[in-house]
Parts: sequence; C-alpha cells; structure tokens
Amino acid sequence: MRRAENIKRRVYRWFSSIKTSVYLFALLVVFYFIGTIFPQGADIERYAEAGGRFVEAVRLFGFLDIFHTPLFYLVAVLLLINLSVCTWDRFQRVRKRAWRESPDVERRLSLALSYRETEELLEEFIKKQRFRLISRDEDTLTAEKGIYYRYLTLLYHAGIVLCFAGFFLTGLFVKEGLLILKQGEPTPIESQMMPEVRGWLAPEEPPQFKIQLDEFRTEYILSRKLNYPEDGLSRLAIALGWQDITYTEEERFYPKDWFSKLRILVNGSTALEKTIEVNDPLRFEGYTFYQVGFEEKLKLKINDKVFTISTGRKKNIEELGKTLIFTGFRKGTLFKPDGTVEQIRPFVTLKELKEDGTRITLGRLHLGESMEIDGKSLRFEGFEETSILSYRYDPGVGLLWYAGFFVFAVMSLRCLGRWYMLRFRIDEDEGGKTILTVAIHCRGLMADSQRVSALLNTHLERYVRR
Amino acid sequence: MSVEDVLSRGAHLLTVEVRLLWAVGILYMVAAILSLYGLITATHRSGRMPHAILGFTLILHTGVILLRIFETGRAPFQTLYESLSWFSFTSAVTYLFVSKRWRRVGLPCFFVTLIASCAIFYALLGRSPEAKPLSPPLQSWWFEWHVVVAFSSYAVFVVSSAFEATYLIAKRLLKTRDYALGLAPEELKPFRTMATKLVIFGFPMLTFGIFSGAAWANEAWGRYWGWDPKETWSLITWTVFAMYLHAQSVPRWRENVASTLNLLGFVCMIMTFLGVNWLSKLLGIPSLHAYAV
Repeated sequence: MRRAENIKRRVYRWFSSIKTSVYLFALLVVFYFIGTIFPQGADIERYAEAGGRFVEAVRLFGFLDIFHTPLFYLVAVLLLINLSVCTWDRFQRVRKRAWRESPDVERRLSLALSYRETEELLEEFIKKQRFRLISRDEDTLTAEKGIYYRYLTLLYHAGIVLCFAGFFLTGLFVKEGLLILKQGEPTPIESQMMPEVRGWLAPEEPPQFKIQLDEFRTEYILSRKLNYPEDGLSRLAIALGWQDITYTEEERFYPKDWFSKLRILVNGSTALEKTIEVNDPLRFEGYTFYQVGFEEKLKLKINDKVFTISTGRKKNIEELGKTLIFTGFRKGTLFKPDGTVEQIRPFVTLKELKEDGTRITLGRLHLGESMEIDGKSLRFEGFEETSILSYRYDPGVGLLWYAGFFVFAVMSLRCLGRWYMLRFRIDEDEGGKTILTVAIHCRGLMADSQRVSALLNTHLERYVRR
Repeated sequence: MSVEDVLSRGAHLLTVEVRLLWAVGILYMVAAILSLYGLITATHRSGRMPHAILGFTLILHTGVILLRIFETGRAPFQTLYESLSWFSFTSAVTYLFVSKRWRRVGLPCFFVTLIASCAIFYALLGRSPEAKPLSPPLQSWWFEWHVVVAFSSYAVFVVSSAFEATYLIAKRLLKTRDYALGLAPEELKPFRTMATKLVIFGFPMLTFGIFSGAAWANEAWGRYWGWDPKETWSLITWTVFAMYLHAQSVPRWRENVASTLNLLGFVCMIMTFLGVNWLSKLLGIPSLHAYAV
C-alpha cells in the first residue's frame, strides 16, 4: 500500500516537473528533425530504388511517416499528460499563492512616523498608484497591480491543452480529398485523384449533397521578363553603375486568380451558390471546398487525325516525327501594366523537345488557328477545362483556432503586460519610530521595479531618517 | 528620361533600389568592421562610430524598403530577396533599440551587423530582385501578417543570441580579468537578462507566426498543417525556444544549459529561414514553401 502510494507520488512528481517537459520537448525535436530529413509519405521501395540510405532502419522505425508512428504518438501523449498535470499542479499552488517570490528590489527604511501613521501613508500610496490591497496581516501589507502573471501562465498552458483537443478531434473525424469538376455535372463528394484521408471515427458514407461547377475562369497579369545577370561579377557591375537592369521584350502571363462558380445541390435543388477563389473557400454542412487548381485538355488536329493532350505534357507526334510540349495555355482576362484589361484569345505555346533534352520554342498557337511545322498543319481545335477542388470535413479546426488565438493573446499579455506586488513590513522602532521593509516584485517586459521604487521614495521622502 | 518613365515602375527604379541596397550592405559591413576594431583595440570611443553608421544605414535602408513598396505596390516580403532585406532591417532596428544601455559592448553590434550585411549580400548576389506579381495563394491577409511577424521574431532572436554569445565569452574572460568586452563582472547579470527579455518578447511573435501560417494554409490549401519541412523547422525553432524558457525555471539549467539552448534556437532559426530550402533541394524533399525562393 505504502509502496503503491510512493510510486503514485513519484509518477505525479515526474509528470508535474518542468524538467520532464524539457526532456519531452527534446525528444519531439528529434522526431521533427528526422521528419525534415526523410521524405515524408514516400514509398519505402521507391526510397530504396532511389538509392536511399539506412533502408532497414527507415523501414523498422517508419522514418518515411514518422509523424504517424506509435513512438511519436507516445511522446505527444506523454507531453499532453505532462502539460495537463503541470497546469493542474500549478493551479493548486497559484490558488493558495504557495510560491516564494524573490523580490526584484528590497529596501529597509527608517521612518520618523508612528506605526499607525506609516500604515496610513502606505495605504495612501497604494490608493494613489492604483494598487489593490490583497492582504493585511499583523505587521505586513501586501498590494498588487496588474493580472497575477501565474494565472496568465496557467491560462495559456490550459489553452495549449485545448489546442491538443482540437488536434485530437481532427485525428478522429477528419475527411479530406480532391474533386475534379466538369462544367454542368453534379458531382458527389468522393475523392477522385487520391484516396480519401479519413480519421479513425469519420463516417465512410459521402454526404447527401452534390456539388456542381457552373463556370470556371482565370485571370492573368501581363509582365515582362527581367534581364538580370546570374553571375556575381555582372551584378557587381550593376552596383558600380557600369550596367543597368532592363526588361526584355518577352511577355509573361502571371496567374492573378482562378474562380469557380459553384452550386450545392440537395436532392437536385440548389441549396447554396458561391464563386470561390484561392483563399476564399465555400463552406456547407461542416465541409469546406477549396480552389486548389485547374486542368486543361487540348484538342488538336494534324492530317485529319484528332488527339487530346493535357497542358504541360509532351507528346510524340508521329506525323511530324517530333516530340512536342504544349505549355502555358492561357485564356481568360488579362490585366496589362498600363491599366487596361482585355480578353485573351486562347493560345498554347508549342515547344519542340530535342533528343539532347533541349527545348526550342516554336511559337504560340491560337484557338481555331493552325501552325505549319515541316510543311504539315497542326490545328488547335478546342479545349476542355476542369476545376480541381480539395474538400475537408474537420470538426476540430474551430476549437483549434479559438484555442490558438487565446494562447497567443494570453501569452502576449503574460510576456508584455505588467504585474507588480508590493510587500511592506512595518516594525516599531525605539522612540515611537518605525522600520519599514519594502519588497517589490514585478513581472512582464513593461514592468519597471526601479520606477515603482522611485515613486515610493518620493512619497516617503519627507519622513525618512538619514 | 521623363518623370512618367521613372515612375512607370520600370527597371530604372529597380536599378536605383539595387544600387542603394548595395550601399546598405556595404555600410552594415563597415559598422561590423569598426565594431571589430573597437573590440581589438579596446577603445570605448570607437564603439560610437559603428552605432552612428548603423543609425545612418537604417535611414537609408528604410528608404530602400519604401522604394520597394512603391515599385511593387504591396508589402515587401514575397520573395527571399525581399525577406532577407526585411530580416536585416528588423535585426538592426531591434539591436539599435535594445543596445542603448550597452553601447560600449561592441561584440553584439559586430554579430548583428555582420549577419545583416551577409543577408543583404546573399540577397544581392544569390537572388533575383525581380518584383513578380503575387501568386494567388499569397494574396491573403494572413500571408502579410505571417511573414512580417515571423521575420520580426527572427530579428529579435538574432539580437538575443548576439547578447547571449557575448555573455558567454565575457563570463569566461572575466574569470581572469576585471573587465572584458566592455563589461564589468557586476554587469554580466543585467546584460544576460537582456538576452532573456528578447526571447520573451520574440516567443509570442514566433507563436503568432506559426499560428498565422497555419491559418493561411487552411484558407489557401485546406490543410493547416502538412509537416512540410519549413513548417517542421519553424516548430523545431519554437520548441527549442520553449525549452530555453522552461530551462530558466530550473535553477541548475538557468546558466549554461539555457545559454546553449538560446544559441541552438538561433541555429534552428537560420535553418528555418534559409536551410530548409537548401536542405529540401539537396535531398529532393518537396516543399510548399519552395515558391518563396
């Protein structure tokens, strides 16, 4: 029985120790470091094929998915227990104020005043400086100003525990996947390009509603390529004024934004409509839909033979005996540097891939037009566009945001705010005089114990016996 | 060249900006050399000159940053070139602000101005100053706050580690001398307190930097945390500084262990800032943050 009590006390002491927190933090750092060295989510066979090192150790310890290994979870859970126990333990002590604070300034003064007069003078100072009298013992006065910093420390540690709760909810209920939407086609919420990421308790069935793309559009900004040298010496020449930086005549179309006009359908009728863009998702029944990208398939014709190809891909065109790359498909609205806006005549840039890997730009091929290559005509017939959305169902994220903001706000208040505690001990001296012992405690970057000491000096100045 | 041409956000302004940034980098280096000279010759008067030069350089650097804002029409943190300039600017501002009481201690000035000039020269020689339009994921309120606060916290940590390193060296030298690096034995404690105060100031900022980064990722990609190497390194930095702050509460760790952790935090911060992209490229690790290079 006594042994069990002993073990219990030891375990509690271990979990409520700050040293334990530091050791657990150090262990986490090791995991994090491994996670930045080894490619996370990679396949072990491919890793081995690519010449990866320590293959057996990597396989054994799960280094390619280190943040989902039992060992990592164990350390995270131990840290959570440590954090909770520490917070609880400190709460008990803070409630009882069972801390021995070492003062930042301590002084002893002899005053030409009686005990009662000294007490009144100190009360006047406490009131004038807006301190709160928190205790009055036989010969001691204690006053405080600001929020007791240990409460703030407790609060933001409790906030971190809430953040962990948010992560935990995410781990249990999260659903995440990708959708490819074609214009006008109602699509169920089932991941298409990758298997759906699902939490341990997330429902397997997709939601009852469907999503439909009504319109997809893109916007571009026209800019020119900067002629800036790569080598250090030429850059130094610019610094010395021997060369200037210039822009080339080569035009560049930088993506400005992508928009998807979406419609949520419940039993065939519209429940919600919204045009989303990157950084502005659509939310419906706990699901959030994000604009992550788009894909175009081009329809081209050569010698009456029609073929389709995705942009950015290379294709060996037998009729030409060449490998072509179709890059930089552009359509939509163009914003020009002079402030004007125009609609882009859809075009794709054609490049020839040589056997030695070099790429030669053949030019732009506009929609409905042809390009002569080695006497043969390549025509751009049309294109098909799809919008790529990611979706996520995550009931933990709300708690995480509120708790995270709370942690930041309270932590800032704790670090920057001011807290003072004054402790006065009055001892009667011979001849009706008093000896005053002043202890000034302060915390927070804005707190200044010397200033409070100087204010007290000014207040008591007339009565101090030299 | 007409006024309209100059103000047309063309390459002329960029040329002026790049030349001014070269001047800023050189002036930071001059301040570093003069600080070093002050350390070697141990003359207190030579400590005033680097601070005067640093003050002038900061005025010039403010002008360069304002010029960049005028050129691009947005906050100047999108590319690594811009971030490096901002980082060195905030480091120098932080140092100048906190060093008022410690002007005669030249070593932190040497560290900070050296790092500031290295950051500027790396930006000028290793990166392109091209001001590209913001890509769609970067067009977020969270992005600006994420970068400005995270980089400001890095600046605070740079100055803190400069104070910590000076403290460690001075503590060793003061075992055999009465005065070292501009510090007397009784000044060591308040000098070191400054390093701790800076970490206490920077830690909530780094916390907000990580939090706002997660919020931004959640709005842009629908996932607040992806264990991306840059994210993970920022978490390593946060954890190391959390260890530093906790070590301050353990009497036996308050001295050497805490100092080591502060310096380790600085190394991790540099890895977050520059090393991740380098490490990602070296090892072929894909990173969402790669576009910021």
